[in-house]
This record gives sequence, C-alpha cells and structure tokens, in this order.
Amino acid sequence: MSDVVTLERVTRSYGSVTALDDVSLGFPRGRFVAVMGPSGSGKSTLLQCAAALDTPTSGTVRIGGVTVSGLNETRRTEVRRKHVGFVFQSYNLLPSITVEENLTLPLRLAGVRPDRAWLSELVERVGLGGRLRRRPAELSGGQQQRAALVRALAARPDVVFADEPTGALDLRSAAEVLGLLRELVDELGQTVIMVTHDPAAAARAHETLVMADGRVVDLLSAPAPEELAVRLTRLNGVLT
Amino acid sequence: MIRTALAMSGLGGLVVAFFAVFGGMALVTGTGVIVESGLRSQVNSTRLTGADVVVSARQLVPRKEDLPVALPERATLPSSIVDRLSRLPGVESAVGDLSFPAAVVPGQPSTSGAVTPGTSGSTGPADPAAAGHGWSSLAFSGGKAVEGAPPRRDGELAMAGARVGQEVRVVAGGRPGRYRVTAVIDAPGLYFADSTAAELSGRSGRVDLVALRAGRGITAQTVAAEAERLLGDRYVISTGGARGDAERPGTAAARGMLIALPASIGGISLITVGFVIGGGLSLSVNRQRRDLALLRAAGATPRQVRRLVAVQGCVAALAALPPGAALGYYLAARLGELLEGTGALPPDLPLTYGPLPAVAAAVLLFGVVRLAAWTASLKASRMPPVSAVAESKAEPRVPSRVRTGGGLLLMLVALGLSATPLLVRGEIAGLGPATAALLAIVGLALAGPMLVQAAMGALARRLPSGLSAPLWLAVTNTHGYALRTAGAVAALGMMVTLGLSVVLTQTTISQAKADEVNAGLADVASVSAPRLGGVPHGLLDDVRALPGVMAAAPASTTTVLTRSLAVGDDPGLHARTAMILGPEAGGVVDLGVVEGSMGELKGDTVALDADLGEVGERLDLLMGDGTPVRARVVATYSRALGFGALVLSRDLAAGHTTTGLDAEILVRPAAADLSSLAKTWPGAEVSRRAAASIADADATQGLVNIAVLAVLIGYVLVSVANRLVATTTGRVEELLALRRLGATPGQVRRMLRWESLVIALAACAAGLVLAGVPLVMLSVGFLGRPWPAGPLWLVPASVLVVALVVWAAVNLPVRRRHLAL
Ligand SMILES: Nc1ncnc2c1ncn2[C@@H]1O[C@H](COP(=O)(O)OP(=O)(O)OP(=O)(O)O)[C@@H](O)[C@H]1O
Ligand SMILES: [Mg+2]
Repeated sequence: MSDVVTLERVTRSYGSVTALDDVSLGFPRGRFVAVMGPSGSGKSTLLQCAAALDTPTSGTVRIGGVTVSGLNETRRTEVRRKHVGFVFQSYNLLPSITVEENLTLPLRLAGVRPDRAWLSELVERVGLGGRLRRRPAELSGGQQQRAALVRALAARPDVVFADEPTGALDLRSAAEVLGLLRELVDELGQTVIMVTHDPAAAARAHETLVMADGRVVDLLSAPAPEELAVRLTRLNGVLT
Repeated sequence: MIRTALAMSGLGGLVVAFFAVFGGMALVTGTGVIVESGLRSQVNSTRLTGADVVVSARQLVPRKEDLPVALPERATLPSSIVDRLSRLPGVESAVGDLSFPAAVVPGQPSTSGAVTPGTSGSTGPADPAAAGHGWSSLAFSGGKAVEGAPPRRDGELAMAGARVGQEVRVVAGGRPGRYRVTAVIDAPGLYFADSTAAELSGRSGRVDLVALRAGRGITAQTVAAEAERLLGDRYVISTGGARGDAERPGTAAARGMLIALPASIGGISLITVGFVIGGGLSLSVNRQRRDLALLRAAGATPRQVRRLVAVQGCVAALAALPPGAALGYYLAARLGELLEGTGALPPDLPLTYGPLPAVAAAVLLFGVVRLAAWTASLKASRMPPVSAVAESKAEPRVPSRVRTGGGLLLMLVALGLSATPLLVRGEIAGLGPATAALLAIVGLALAGPMLVQAAMGALARRLPSGLSAPLWLAVTNTHGYALRTAGAVAALGMMVTLGLSVVLTQTTISQAKADEVNAGLADVASVSAPRLGGVPHGLLDDVRALPGVMAAAPASTTTVLTRSLAVGDDPGLHARTAMILGPEAGGVVDLGVVEGSMGELKGDTVALDADLGEVGERLDLLMGDGTPVRARVVATYSRALGFGALVLSRDLAAGHTTTGLDAEILVRPAAADLSSLAKTWPGAEVSRRAAASIADADATQGLVNIAVLAVLIGYVLVSVANRLVATTTGRVEELLALRRLGATPGQVRRMLRWESLVIALAACAAGLVLAGVPLVMLSVGFLGRPWPAGPLWLVPASVLVVALVVWAAVNLPVRRRHLAL
C-alpha cells in the first residue's frame, strides 16, 4: 500500500465516447511517471480522475488512502487540497492578483498558513525571486508555468499531476521545468505524474505509461527516447 | 457579416443591449408623445359644435426664440365685430358668445337635473365657472328648446332638467337671484336673455368669442377666409378641431405644461438612456474582447472590428425599437391618466398619438447606439493584435486619466453647486441641488472605475491576513476588475442619487413652502364656493358680519407674464402664477412684509418678493388676458417661497380674469363659527385650511417627476441586473478555475456573496454621499436643519433594493452545474 493514488476499474464516458475504459492502476510514492499516448487517448481524463478533478462514471479512486468516489464536491475538494497538486497546461493563474498571491491562493482557500521558508525555497529553485509582486500577465510563458509549479507544490502535496506542463514552452524553458520536476522527485521524494507528447521529456521519468483508446496499453521502465518514439508511431499507425 | 457578428456576440451581451434600447425607446417615445401633445394636441370642442368658424382674441404671446406663451385668462373682443362679421358674404348667422360663472344654488327641490348632460353634442355637466351663456349661443351649441319660449327679460332662464314656469335660485356672475324657467332645453348650461347675459358676464360690452355659421353650400374655409380679409391677423379665426382652443383658453394653456413637464426630467432620462445603452454595449464588447483580439490577429482591420460591433448593436436596436415604441405609447397614456387624475391635464385636452415621437425616438436611439458601439469598440479595435490577445485575458488595468479627471471635476463642481441653498433662498435655490445631482451622476459614471479601483486597492492592502479566502477574493476581484464592477456601482449609485435627491429635494422644498404658507396663514380658515363657480357677491359682507370674525379678505390666483425677475426664469417673458389680494388682506395673510404696506394694495399696484425689487419700483406686466399694465410696487415681502414672487392688487386684476370672481375668502380667526353660512349660502364651503397657495403647479410637476423617475429607476435596475447576470455567466470559466485550484463550491458562492455585498455597499455609499451633500445643504438652507423633509425611509429602502438586486443578479445565475468539476 505504498501507492499514493490508486484507480480501480475506473471508467469515464462522455455520452457514447468512453474516454477512460476500465483502468486499474497504482501510482507508487516517490516516482516520476510519464503518461503518453495519441491525442484523444484519455491522458487528460486519466489525470483529472486520478486528481479528483473529475468524477469517474464508475470505479473507485483512492488518494492518500481516502476513497474519493462517493464524496460530495466539498469533501472531495478538501481531500484534493490536502494531497494533490495540479499543474495545468494553460497555467491557470488568476490575472487580477499578484504572482505571490497566486502562489498562496490554494493555501488561502484551505485556510492554511503558508510555510514561508518552504515557499521561498521553491521560489528560489524555480528562479522566480523578484517577480513575485508582478501580475501573471507580466511574466513569460515559462515563468508562468514555473509559478504554477510552485503553486502546486506549496502545500507539500503527496502527489503532483502535470498535464503537458511543457506543451506551450520553448525547448529551453521546457528543459528547465523538466529538470525541476526530476529534482523534486530525486531530492525531496515527491511523486510526480506528468502527461507529455515529447519522448525526450518522458525519458526523464522513471516509468512511462502508454495509453490508447482509453486504456493503458503499455508500461515501460525508463525507456530510451528512440524506443518510445517507435512505439508511439506504431500506436498512431494502429489507430489510423 | 451579420451572421458572424451575431454568432460572436453570444446571446448574453445582445440581450443586455436589447433591454437597454428597449427601455430607452419606451422612455424617449413616451416623452415624445407628451411633447407632441404639448405642441399639437387639440382641445375637444365641447360646446360650440354648431359653429363653422369661431373668431377669438389672440391668446398666445409670442416670445423671441421660444415657444409662445398661452394666456389662460379669457381675452375678449369688442362686440361691434359681431355685426361686421354677420354682414360678410356667406355668413348665415353670427353671434357674440359669452361664458360666465353660473350655477343653480344647490339643495333646491326638483332641479336635480340642472347640471345633467344634454342629449346632443355635449359631454358631462357644465363647469359652473363657465356655465352661463346668452340665449342666442344655444343654437350654436347644438342644443334647442324642448319646451317653452326663449328667455327675453331679466329674471328669465332656460335650462335642462326643470319645468317651465318653475322658480329657481341661481348665482350668475357672482350675483344671487331668482329666475323663472321659460324654456327647457336639451343642453347643459344656463341660458339667459342676451342682454342679461351681457350684464352678468361683466364684460362691459365685449364678447368672448364670435361664432359664425356658414350659409347653405358654403364651406367653413370660405367663411374663414372672408373673416380674415375683414379682420386681418389681429384676431384668431378657427375652424374644425382648432375651435376647441378658442373656446377654452385655460385648457389650451395647459398644453404649455405638457411641454414643460418633460423638460425638467427629460435631461435626466436622456443621460440615463445614453448611459445604460453605452454600458450595455461596452459589456457586450468586453465579453468578446478575446474573440475580437483573435479576429484582429487573424487579419481583421480595426474598421472591420468596429463594423462588427456596430452590426451587433444595430441588430439589437432594430429588434428592440418596435416593442419599445409600443411600451412608450402605453407609458404616455398612463402618464396622461395620472395627470388627468390630479387635475393638471383637463379631460378635454386628450394626448395626441402620432407616429412622429416613435420615429424621432428611433432615429435618436439609433444614433446613440451607433455612437455607443463606436466608443465601446474603439479601444479593442485599435490595439496591435499581439497585445490585443495578451490583454484580452485580463482587462485593461488603468482607466483613462482624462476620464477620471473629468469625472472628479464634475463631482467637485456638483458639490459646489449644491451649496447654493446656503447663499440664496427661493425657488431658484432648489435648482442648484437638482443640477448638482445630475452632474454628480455623470461624474460618478466617468470616475467610477478609478474610484472603485483605488478604494478596493486600499481596502485590499489593509485587510488582515487571517481573512477568510472568499472575502479576500471578493475584494481583490472587485479591485482587479474595476471596470467591470464600476459599471454596476456607478449605475446603482446613480439610481440611489437620483431617487433620493429628486424625491427628497421635492419634499424638502414643498415642506419649506408649506411651512411658509402655514406661518403666513396661521389661524386662517377659508370659505369658497366651487359649485357656484367662485365666491358670489355678498358672501364677503356676510362673512365679515358673523360674530367672532375679526378679519376676512378675498383671494384668488391668476397667471401673469413678466420679464425675467430671477435667475432661472425664462429669459424673455416668464409666466408665473400670482395671488390676487386686496388692501384688507394685510390683516389676514402675513406675507412677512419687509418694506411698504399691504394696505396700499389698491389701484395698479403689486407686492413683490423682497429679493427681487424695492418699494416704489415700476413693474411692467402682461395680465393673464394679454393686457399690458404698469404697476407700482407698494410692498415687499419675504414669504415668496410659499406665496410666490408676485401679489397683484384686486383692482389691478379686475376685468382681467375669466370668471371675475374670487376663489375664496380668508377668515381670521380659524376658530370663528362659520357654520351658519351653510344655511344662508348653500353651495358655500368652509374649510379649516386655506387653499390659498400657489404650489399646485409645482405639486403636479413633482408628481410627474416621481412617476417618470419610478419608470426610470425600474429601467436602470433591470438593465443593471441584466448586466450583472451577463457578467456572472461570463465568469463561469473564472469560477471553474478557482474550483480547480482548490475552492469548494461553498467558497465560490461565499465569494460571490461578498462581491455582491461590496458592490452594493460601494454603490450605496457613492449614492448616499452624492445625494446626501446637496440634500443637507438644501435642508439647512430651506428648513434650517441638516436633514431633509419627507419619507426618510427611502434611504434604507433604496439601500435594501440595491442590495437585493445585486445579490439576486450576481448569485442566482450561478447554478450547481456551473460549479461542478
Ligand atoms: N468534456 C468532454 N466532453 C465530451 N468528450 C470529451 C470531453 N473531454 C474529453 N472528451 C473526449 O474524451 C476522449 C479523451 O480525451 P482526453 O482529453 O483525455 O484526451 P487526451 O489524451 O488528453 O488528448 P490530448 O493529447 O489531445 O490532450 C476524447 O475522445 C475526447 O473527445
Ligand atoms: Mg489532454
């Protein structure tokens, strides 16, 4: 039971589309897992269900030992606040408040006093020092994504989900963000689950989940980028 | 283009614009109907239906660069004209018509039908103030003798509802007498022998009108043309619908009121309509900022973007104009009923419902929409595409400096203006606060965003750190989206300001007037005889002879035209209501004489507001019938607010009023036993409160202001609610983002509740300050105390209404599913 998040026979359908099809999975603590797969294969849906951002049509999701399926919205939110950090592809920073206020917003919502030392360490690490009083719109995309990462980590969650965190970034920023994620896992024992389309990014993970048609079709341990690329091309071929 | 425009607008924005134009159209059309009626409505010809042409004296005094003033008192013609007109070719018969007060003394047996309507061509019972006529007029009124012979001598009478040979007591021209009924007729009114009528009318050989009947086969127009050739343009020659005007100058003069009515609140209405439409369109543009920015990025020129917004506005406008016009006509009809109910609009002066007001309103509103669309889209269309996309995420943070500066300046000027009641007294002092309120709301609309931003910023910085997250978010949101919030704050603040200042200014001034009237008429009772058409001769002597009566004085009111006497008067000729008092009035009415003496009010003399002139001055006046006179000022007085700026001597007014009778007798002390009058003078009425005040016209104006204001407030409230609903539904994404970041549905709802509270409080605070300062000044100036008169519960009520509207519009549109992840 060292899994932080467990999915048991989770199905999520939108009308006739089955985005997640009877998926059972466990994410072990302290690992860096990449999720890959063709577009529309259900990666985002998997992450959102695992993070309790979405409610599965059937099946159970356990986060930090708590079964979230069946909880009401408020209770689910509370579990999520405590255990989960989420990095959205489109940053999701509120434009009307400063970067610093954005970083502590989830804590504020949870009614938890921010751990200043931890926060400043995170800010230092991502190199956002000196930009805290600005508005999000005044930061570059990479800087905004790094702020979103700090926000996800501020509450010391058990697990951080990241949905294509580097999707909108240039190569350098992307590499920086990835390096950061890896550091978190290696140095702080953080659990990170990340969706990506980039085999090079997936190569920095301990494991890579490959999805197709709402199912997990493969689980590779530290695959080489070339090998991954081949597998994915083949998958795409199958689908088309 | 149209399809793209509509697809892009999303319905929310268009609905807001639609309602803004719809309500605006209704308001403008309604006002237009009133104005058009003031210009073109025709008095129903109620009596002289049998006359083809009516000749009357001029009742309109032309003014330079302004509409002519209608004289309410009858201007007469020399009776020699009748003969000359009757000899014209094509004229079959001509008669000099007279109308004078006449009434059957009430309480006599078997004359109950004296004032019942006749069978032909007449509506309702005759007005006792003008029910007496000469016999020869009867043929022109469509009536005829049913039985008996025409009255030929003094003491003979024809009327409906009596028996031939019956003796009736009648008061005619103020003279009580006994008359024998010689003919029973089928028309309302009392008809006397022509010679008797001439004497009773007191017109000394003049006539009110000349009625002409055309010979067989000759048109009214031909006769009118002949008459015009004979008389030139010294007299008015009317045919068809215009005859009613000639017949009833008092009614025709009421038309002037119809034009004046919208003048006072029309400005406020127009500003409000512009403001609401502008706000609606800018909301619609703001909702599409991102899409418009993407369009620009995709290669659309600024012109194309502006065109797109204009098309959206025009579509909303086109859809809203027809139903808006319909509502406008409906509202005008209701207002007409209201005016008629208060007696301000004579029932025989119906409103005119033509297409013109709707057309004019449509053109005006279309212009407003175009202009509003253009301004709203200007900024979005001009931005370079890149920053347009970047900016579209957040709203532009800095409201324009010029705008803010202008707004603050306006508010300062407004507060300055509101101090006028401290410096000057009298009617004019009320203008300061009214104008102040108007300027203040425009100022608030302009400076609102900056003020909201600054206030909320200051608040946000001072908030304790342990504050609940929803409250903190509410304050920072209000601060960060100042433009979005300020629109609602300004509109609601404007409503609070307008509602409170219009109503309470009115109640305060009328309270001040009433106070003066009460002080001036302390311990005074009043005797009047409306059923006899005015105070009959002899009643005054009888009243004076009653034991316990210390003093009694007749009083009435008329309208005179003067040059401009005070700031705020019409620059050319100003029509004003004036009291008519005699020299003995000084012992009854206390006008607060400053200089001179009321006892001198004999001959061609007047008393004047002490602020407007000195004893000994000469004043040129036009009497109510158009006669120019030069009067000497023999007294000045201080209670001008309650009694008006001008008091005429009875001698001066004699012969220049339609009835020639006093309206009431003021009696001191009020405790005197007047009950015996009921027996000796049936028809006389005693009231403990003197009616002698000239505040009636203002009261009507006040009532109309409040009625229009109520409609206006409803309009703004609906439009603000609409905007808030649209804003909230446009925020679903933002709310979901909060949910994803860890806010529970409860927290989001609490945040919205706090936001609505903040908006409501800001609006009420702004509104209360902007209305409060002028009102305090006004109250100090007029009542000598810092709080206004009137229903002060309006203050908490308006706060409550604002709070409720904001709460409902912000919170109710958010459904459960909006907050579910
Ligand atoms: N809100 C929704 N309503 C209806 N269908 C949806 C919704 N969200 C996702 N889907 C469908 O579910 C399937 C999986 O979507 P999902 O977003 O998980 O794919 P993805 O693997 O993240 O793709 P991408 O790599 O393009 O982000 C798709 O077929 C998609 O069309
Ligand atoms: Mg996805």
